[in-house]
Amino acid sequence: MTYDVGIDIGGTFTDLCAIGAEGGLITAKTPTTHYDLSVGLIRGLKDLGTRAGQDPETFLGNVEALRYSTTIGTNALIERKGPRLGLITTAGFEDTIFIGRSRSWADGMALHEIRDMATIAKPAPLVPPEMVVGLSERMDCHGAAVRPLDHDEVREQLQKLVDQGVQGIVVSLMWSFLNPAHEREVRRIIEEEYPEEFLGSMPVTLASEVSPKAGEYTRTMTALVNAYIHGVMTQELGDLTTNLRRANYRRPLILVHNTGGSKKVSRTRAVLTHNAGPVAGMYGASLIGAQEGHKNIIFADMGGTSFDIGVLAGGTLKAQDFIPVIDRWRTNIPAIEVKSIGAGGGSIAWINTAMGGQLEVGPQSAGSVPGPACYDQGGTYPTVTDADLVLGYINPDNYLGGAMLLDPDASEEVIEEKIAQPLGISTLEAAWRIRRLVDARMGQEMFNEVALKGHNPRKFVVFACGGAGAGHACGFARHIGANTVIVPAMSSVSGAFGASSMEIRQVWEQSRSFRVFNFMDQSHLADCAPLNGLIAELTDKAMRDLKLEGFDEDRIGFTLEFDMRYGSQYHLTRVTAPKLGFDGVADIEALCGLFEQQYAEIYSPEAAFPSGGINIEAVFVTARVHQEPRKLIGAGDNPPRDAVAQATRLACFDPAQGLVETPIHDWSALAPGDTIAGPAIIEAPDTTYVIDPGWSYRMNEFRNGIVTVKAD
Amino acid sequence: MNAFNTIKYSRDPEIVQHLRPEPPSDWEARTMPGLDPLDYEIFTHKMQMIALEGKETTMKLGASTGMRWGDVAFGIYTAQGDLAVCATGIYHHAVLSQLPVKYLIKHLANDPTVGLKEGDSFFYNDPYYGGVHNADMGLCVPVFSEGKLICFIGAAVHTGECGGSEPGGMVNSAKSRYDEGLMSPPIKIGENFELKEDLLGLLANSTRDPRTMVLDIKARLAASRIAERRVHETLAETGADFLVGGLRRILQQTGEAARAKVATLNDGIFRQPRFIDTTGPEAALLKINLVVEKKGDRIKLILHGSSPTLPDRPMNTFFQGLIGMAMVYACGWLFPELPANNGLLEAVDWEFPEGSFINAQGDVPVSYAPATQVAFAQGMFMTGAKMTYATDPSRAVGAWHTGFAVTVFAGYNQWGEPIADITPEINATGAGGRPGADGVDVAGAFFATMSDCGDVETTEAERPFLYTFRNFFNNSYGHGKYRGGSGVGMGLKVHGVPMVAIGSMGFGSHFPATLGIFGGRAAPPAFVQTVRGSNLDGLMAEGRADLPRRLEDLYAPGGTPEEGTRDYLSVAHPPALYEGGDTFYVPVTGGAGYGDPLQRDPDAVAHDVSSGRCSVEAARDIYIVEIDGRTGLADKDGTTARRDAARKARLARAKPYDAFVAEWSKLSPPAEVLRYYGPWDGSAAQEA
Repeated sequence: MTYDVGIDIGGTFTDLCAIGAEGGLITAKTPTTHYDLSVGLIRGLKDLGTRAGQDPETFLGNVEALRYSTTIGTNALIERKGPRLGLITTAGFEDTIFIGRSRSWADGMALHEIRDMATIAKPAPLVPPEMVVGLSERMDCHGAAVRPLDHDEVREQLQKLVDQGVQGIVVSLMWSFLNPAHEREVRRIIEEEYPEEFLGSMPVTLASEVSPKAGEYTRTMTALVNAYIHGVMTQELGDLTTNLRRANYRRPLILVHNTGGSKKVSRTRAVLTHNAGPVAGMYGASLIGAQEGHKNIIFADMGGTSFDIGVLAGGTLKAQDFIPVIDRWRTNIPAIEVKSIGAGGGSIAWINTAMGGQLEVGPQSAGSVPGPACYDQGGTYPTVTDADLVLGYINPDNYLGGAMLLDPDASEEVIEEKIAQPLGISTLEAAWRIRRLVDARMGQEMFNEVALKGHNPRKFVVFACGGAGAGHACGFARHIGANTVIVPAMSSVSGAFGASSMEIRQVWEQSRSFRVFNFMDQSHLADCAPLNGLIAELTDKAMRDLKLEGFDEDRIGFTLEFDMRYGSQYHLTRVTAPKLGFDGVADIEALCGLFEQQYAEIYSPEAAFPSGGINIEAVFVTARVHQEPRKLIGAGDNPPRDAVAQATRLACFDPAQGLVETPIHDWSALAPGDTIAGPAIIEAPDTTYVIDPGWSYRMNEFRNGIVTVKAD
Repeated sequence: MNAFNTIKYSRDPEIVQHLRPEPPSDWEARTMPGLDPLDYEIFTHKMQMIALEGKETTMKLGASTGMRWGDVAFGIYTAQGDLAVCATGIYHHAVLSQLPVKYLIKHLANDPTVGLKEGDSFFYNDPYYGGVHNADMGLCVPVFSEGKLICFIGAAVHTGECGGSEPGGMVNSAKSRYDEGLMSPPIKIGENFELKEDLLGLLANSTRDPRTMVLDIKARLAASRIAERRVHETLAETGADFLVGGLRRILQQTGEAARAKVATLNDGIFRQPRFIDTTGPEAALLKINLVVEKKGDRIKLILHGSSPTLPDRPMNTFFQGLIGMAMVYACGWLFPELPANNGLLEAVDWEFPEGSFINAQGDVPVSYAPATQVAFAQGMFMTGAKMTYATDPSRAVGAWHTGFAVTVFAGYNQWGEPIADITPEINATGAGGRPGADGVDVAGAFFATMSDCGDVETTEAERPFLYTFRNFFNNSYGHGKYRGGSGVGMGLKVHGVPMVAIGSMGFGSHFPATLGIFGGRAAPPAFVQTVRGSNLDGLMAEGRADLPRRLEDLYAPGGTPEEGTRDYLSVAHPPALYEGGDTFYVPVTGGAGYGDPLQRDPDAVAHDVSSGRCSVEAARDIYIVEIDGRTGLADKDGTTARRDAARKARLARAKPYDAFVAEWSKLSPPAEVLRYYGPWDGSAAQEA
C-alpha cells in the first residue's frame, strides 16, 4: 500500500503522520534530534513503517509524497547561523534596514514587552553597517530611471564587499518592484565579475524577484531573510534528501509553505518555509472541520509554552493583510497569519500588588524548563498546569501518556503559598480562578483575532489541538461565543496531519497602483489593458513554474485577488475577483462594487466612502494544482451511545461544591458514536479532555471529538 | 435653556478643570463594591480587547499621516466622561479626549436642540477641549442600554490638515485662533447611526484635503461603532450594573495604584526650566519654568515664572495639554505597568499661573502648542530622572528628541489630487541615553509610542516628493557616557508637479531643544536647508555620484555640486511655494546624552566612528578618545592619559560656588532675545 506522509519537526518532538491509499491514518512521534534533524526524522519514518506493518525500506519505497514543514531556516535565523551577507542598495538609503521604519524595536514583540519605553532595543542586524553599500541610481514612483546606474561604481562597491569577505549579496534598490532594470543590471555585472566557474562566485538575490512589493524596508528585509537562510537550508535539505534516498525514498521532498500550499524543495523560496508548521495545522483543521460541515474555524494550538491561533473563514486558508514578522524582521510574504499569544500551560499566575492585589495569569511563562511546579524541575511559580492538576483534571500518573510523572503536592503548595494565602481563599478556589482567568483571556484574544479580520466570531467553531487544547477548549470557547469544539484524534500531531495532504500551491504577487475609480473625475478606469497585462504576466509566470515542476497545464487552476483601498488610505482590503481579467469598464465597476460591499460588511456601511476614489495596489495570482487528496475513511456513523466511564476521580467544576467524583474515560477504549455528558474527563495518550458541565462529547467516525454546548 | 447662554464662544473654563475622575455617580457607587473579583478581572481584559480592536480598526481605515503611521487614542469613557480604558501609545490624546465628552454631557445632552441618544455621533477639534491644536480631531458615540446611558466610546487622532491660513495643521503666522482653521466644539454629526451628509460636507469643505478628512472621520466612527457592538455583547453577559461599576472600579484602582507608586519615590522638589527658541515666526527665548514637587503620594506640577502669554504668536498652549503630556511620560516611562487612564491623575496636582503662554486664554493662537508641550514633556523626563534615580535608576532616562522639525506641505500631488499633511519623519527621532545603554537610534516619537516613520516609497507614491536620501543624521544626538540615539536627515526634491507648498514646524534651531542629563550633552540645534532653482534634477540625470547621501554631506568642506539659491531656515517657518526640482533638507535630531562623555567606553566611541555615527572630531574633542587611523580602534592608553589631563583642566577652571553664582547671575542674553521671555531675573517665579 502507498502512503502520503507529513512531517512537522518541533522543539521537543518530531511528529509524523501517514495517510494510506485506503484511507487509514498512522501517526508517530520521536524526540527531535537538534544536532541533526534528519536523524530523528528518519527514525520517525521507520517508526511509521513499523506501525504500518512494513519494513522501513519497503515503507519508504511506498511513500508517494513526503511533505515537510521545516524549521531549519527559522532556527538558522534565530541562532544567527547565516552567511556574511552584503547589501547593495540605493545611495542615500544605506541605513534603511537599521532605521527599520523607526519602530523595529517593537517588531516581533508582544505588547506587554514594549510597554516600558525605558528599556526598548532594536534587534542586532542581519547585515552589519559596513556590509551595506549604496549605488548612485534612482527610480521614481512611476518606475522612471531619474538617475542612471553607474557600472564603474557598481564594480567599486562590489569590490568593497568582496574585500570584506562577502558570502552572498542582496540587491535591493528603490522602486525596483516597479522597474527592476537596475537590479538586474547589477546582478549581470556581479556575475560578469565573479562567474559561476570561479570559487569567488556568490549567490545574488534581487529583492524585486523575492518580493515584488511596495515598501523598501519590508522588501529588503524579505530578500535579506531569504538570502540569510537560503544557504543553510540548501545544505541541510541536501543532506536530508541524500539520507532519505539511502533509506529508499526516491521521490522529491516537498516543503510546506506558510502561504498554505506546498512545493518541491527545488522550487521553494526559503523565506516561505518560516512558521509553516502551524499553517499546516490550520490546513489539517480545514479538512477535519469539513468532515463535520464546518467552514468557519478558529484554530487553537495550545501547548505547554505556546498558544498559536489562526482564523479559517469560508473553509480555505486565505492570506490577510498583515505584516508577517520573521524573528524580529518585518517582511511582506503572502503568508497565512498564525498568531502566538502569550498563554499556555506554563503561564504563571501572580498577584499584582500594584493594582490592589489583583490576580493575573501570564504573560510570563515558566516555559518547559523549569516548567510548572508539578514538573519538579525547580519551578517555583504557580502555573496553569499546576491549577489543572489541583482541580483534578490532569492525571499525575498519566500525563502525556505517562511520559512524565507530576507532583500534585508541589502544585498545591505553590498555589497555596503564592495565590490562595495572599487572597485569603482556599487553594481550590485559587486554582479555579487561575483557570477561569486564563481561559477568559485566551478566549478574548481569539475573539479579537476573528473580529479584526472582519468576521463574527460567534459563527465559528473552535479547533482545539496541542497538548493542552482539549483541556481548556470548553473554557475559552465560552468567551468566543462558540458552541462547538472539535478536538482532532491526532491532536498532538495535527501539523503533520495537515502537511500530509497539503496541496501544491503558490502565490504570485506584484504591487502596482491602478486608480480603478478616479477621485478627481469620479470615473472608472477605462483602459483595462495594463491591468490585464499584469494579470497575464503573473499567470504566465505561475504556469511556467508549475510546468517546470512537472505538472500538466490542465491540472493548474488560478485565483485572482487584489489589494484595494479607498483614496489616500493606507490599509488594504483583499478582494477576490470573479474572473481572471477585465473585459471592459463594466467589469471594473463590478470589482469596485465588490470592494464596497465587502468593506461595508466588515466595517459597517457608515464607513464606506464611494466618492473617495478606489485603487488597486497589488495583484495576487494563486496557482493550484488540482489533485484528489487522499481521503480518510471513517468507521461509518454509529448510532449515539452513552459511553461508560472506566473510573472516577475527584475533580472540581464548581468551587462551592469542592472536589466531586468525576467520570474518567479512556479515549482509546471509546468507539465512534460514543457520547459523554459533562462534567467528565477523557484521557487520551497525548492529551486530556475536560468536558465542562453543560457540554457534551461525541466521537465521530474518524475518532475526532465533537464537543458541543447548547446555544443560549 | 439654550446651552450657550452662559458660555463665551462655547468654551467652558469649568469643564477643562475636570481632568481627574468625577466623583462616582450613585449608580457607580452602588454597583462597584459588589463586583466579583474574578468576573471583574475577566471584564477588564475584555474591555482592553475592545479598545485594542477599536484602535487597530481606526488606524486601518484612516488616511492621514497620523492614521497611517501614527497613533490613535481609542478609549472607553464612563457615562460621566472619564477615560476608563484605552489602547494607545499617544497617551495625551487619551487623557485629554475626555474633555469634549464631559463638555457634551454638560452642555448638549440635555439641550433640546441637540440631545443625546443611541445612534448619535459627535465630532470635535476645538483645541480648548482636545488640549493640543486644531489638527487633532476626535469623534465619540454614546452607548445606551435599555434607555440608560452606559458609557462613551471615542477615537482621537491627528488629521494632517484643518483649513488654517497655512496648510498642514500648524499655522506659523497665526495671529489669533481665527487663523487656525476649523475649530469645532463637540457637535453632533450623526444620528440614527448615520452621518449627516450636510455636516460632513461642511467639515470636508473646511480643509484642503477633503478626501482625507472624510476618510479619517469615517475611520473613527466605524471603529467606535464596532466597539459599541462589542460593549453591547459584553452587556448581554454582565448586565449594565456590572459594566458601569466595573468601569468605575478600573479608574479607582488605577488612582490608588498611581498614588501608591508615587509614594515609593523620594520626596523632594525637582526643577527643570525649559527653553524654547522661537515664537513660531521669529526667534526669541521662551521659558517653561517647571518645578515638580513630590510629597507623599502626590506629584505637583508648578509652572509659575513661565513666560507671559503670546497674544499673537502660535506657541501658546492650554494648560490641559501640558497635563496630557505629563501623562505621556507617566504611562510610557514612569508607570508603564499601570493602566493608562485618567485615574493616574489622582496622583497629580498642578498650579498654572494666569497670563502665561503655558495657560492660554481667550483668542490667542495655539497651533504650535505641540512644540511647547513636548518641551514641557522633556522637562518631565529630566525631573523624572532626578526624582527616580535613587529608588529606581532604570527610570532615569534622557529625553527623546522633541520630534518637532516637522515638514508640512500642501498642493496637488502627481496624480492631480489635493493633499495637505505632514511627513512621517516626525516619528523618526532618537531616544535619550539611559543607564547602561545608548538611546535607540531613530526610535520613533516619544509622544506616540506606537507610531513609525513608514517607507519612503509609500510617501513618494502619493506625495509629490522624491527623497534624495533618508539616512541616519550622524552626530545629531547628545553625547554622553551613554549617547542619545541618532535621528534622521532627509532630502526632499519636489517631483512630478510644477509646484507645492512646503514649510516646517518645530523649535531648536538656535538653542538646543533636547538637553542632556547627569553630565550628558544636549542634542545639537538643527535647521532646514533649501535650494530653489536647484540643478539637482540635471545632476541626477547625469549620474553624478558625488551628491549628498546624508544630511551632514551638505555641510562637508567643499560643499556639494548642487547649485541654486540656498537658504538656511529655522525649523519653524511658514510654508512657501517650491517649484519642481527644488530641494528641501530636513533634520530630525537625536536624543539626549546621559552622563559625562569622558566616561564613555573608548571602544564604543571607536565603533560609532567606524559606523559613521560619530565624527572623528567629536571622538577627539568631546569624548577625548584617540582613534588609530589605520585600525579604526581606540588608543586606550592614550585616551586614559588625555582624559586625565582633561579632568585636571576642568578642575583648573573650577570656581567656588558663590563665586560662580555671582558671575553667572550677571549674565543675560541680549534684550531682543528676551522680548517675549518675561523677567530674566526670575522675579515672576519668586512672586508666585
